[in-house]
Amino acid sequence: MNRISVILAAAGFCLLGACKAQQPAPNTEQPTNSAAADPVEPIDAAAPLGTAVAGEEAKAVMHERHEGMEKIGKSAKTISRQLKSSSPDLAAIRAAAATIAELAPKTPGWFRPGTGPDVGKTGAKPEIWQSSADVAEKDLAFRQAAKAFDAAAASGDVTRIKASWSELGKTCKACHDKYRKEMHH
Amino acid sequence: MPRQIPQGDASLSRELGARQPVWDLPTRLTHWLLAALIAFSWWSAEYHRTEWHIWSGCAILALLLFRLLWGLFGSSTARFSNFVRGPGAVAGYLRGHWRGIGHNPLGALSVVALLLAVAIQVGLGLVAQDEDGLFFGPLAQLVSSDTSDSARDLHEQWFDILLYLIVLHVAAIAFYRLFSGKKLTGAMISGRGEVVPGAPPMRPAKWWVALLCLTAAVAITRWVVAGAPPFGP
Repeated sequence: MNRISVILAAAGFCLLGACKAQQPAPNTEQPTNSAAADPVEPIDAAAPLGTAVAGEEAKAVMHERHEGMEKIGKSAKTISRQLKSSSPDLAAIRAAAATIAELAPKTPGWFRPGTGPDVGKTGAKPEIWQSSADVAEKDLAFRQAAKAFDAAAASGDVTRIKASWSELGKTCKACHDKYRKEMHH
Repeated sequence: MPRQIPQGDASLSRELGARQPVWDLPTRLTHWLLAALIAFSWWSAEYHRTEWHIWSGCAILALLLFRLLWGLFGSSTARFSNFVRGPGAVAGYLRGHWRGIGHNPLGALSVVALLLAVAIQVGLGLVAQDEDGLFFGPLAQLVSSDTSDSARDLHEQWFDILLYLIVLHVAAIAFYRLFSGKKLTGAMISGRGEVVPGAPPMRPAKWWVALLCLTAAVAITRWVVAGAPPFGP
């Protein structure tokens, strides 16, 4: 009987520990002062992915999306490679972070209805427009993380940059795993 | 070539159909672990468990290195010098002139092709990076970002080649089963198989040789996983 109560007490402590661990880390991902002055655009609940487009306009959106994603991907590779090296080039990381932060606010307009695989060659799955609210939410998380990472990069604190980079990476993966086709290029 | 069945030699002449040791335990374990890890690698890539995929690839690297060493220092049927043969031997085998144990000259080509294909696949994965710039093979830092992107594309395409070879491998086993009654899968599980009369018995290697080969394979893999210092980042 005694042994069981000891085990229960230990289990209780472990649970408490788990609760504490789940509390958000203080203020690493929150937008800084400059971010508060220039907030991340909220989602338009009526049209989470914007208004529909067709014809040349749709092609233009798809082109912008492709080029933009490519630039974000390139910047991500620069950041990851720098963070993996023994002496990260902070200037290169800052420039890449700025590129992502500059492109991120444009992403809500990259998935307007009418820009799916039935219109042209794209890695975007049709499911995007069947779950537009989910996509818009994931995009919002990405935009917030991109802003936070830009601030982290500006700070020059490599530990903070790495933590913030890991958070930003998760927001890329969250959408791509679900809504991007394999072997799409 | 006449049938060479030594007469009156108890150690060499064996009854047709008697099951004898053909594959040692390290060879069998390597084979089945490799099969399982290739399946897992496919699954983890397909379902975006990229981190697991990379670890699976590293484990395959260790297995490949072990198989390579075991092919030099292992039991007779595992040694490359014992089963890798030229086109003449393959033609001879097809005409029915082969009295060996282990891989026949034609099957040996399949072994070499499979091991090479897996090695190429691992090599490409080691220097690859994912499309989003979030995951990197342990040696990706040794090459440029563009090279890592190309390596990833080739890694995806090479898997098809590997898959064709695996299908061929399984089809050949089914062929032997259906048309000559040979149970090759059972032999790879139990280690014992039917051996043609007059074939020399398998010379097993010592267990500590396997241990040494494994230690070396793991050590080299760890060095690669660490980014191959001092060449790494």
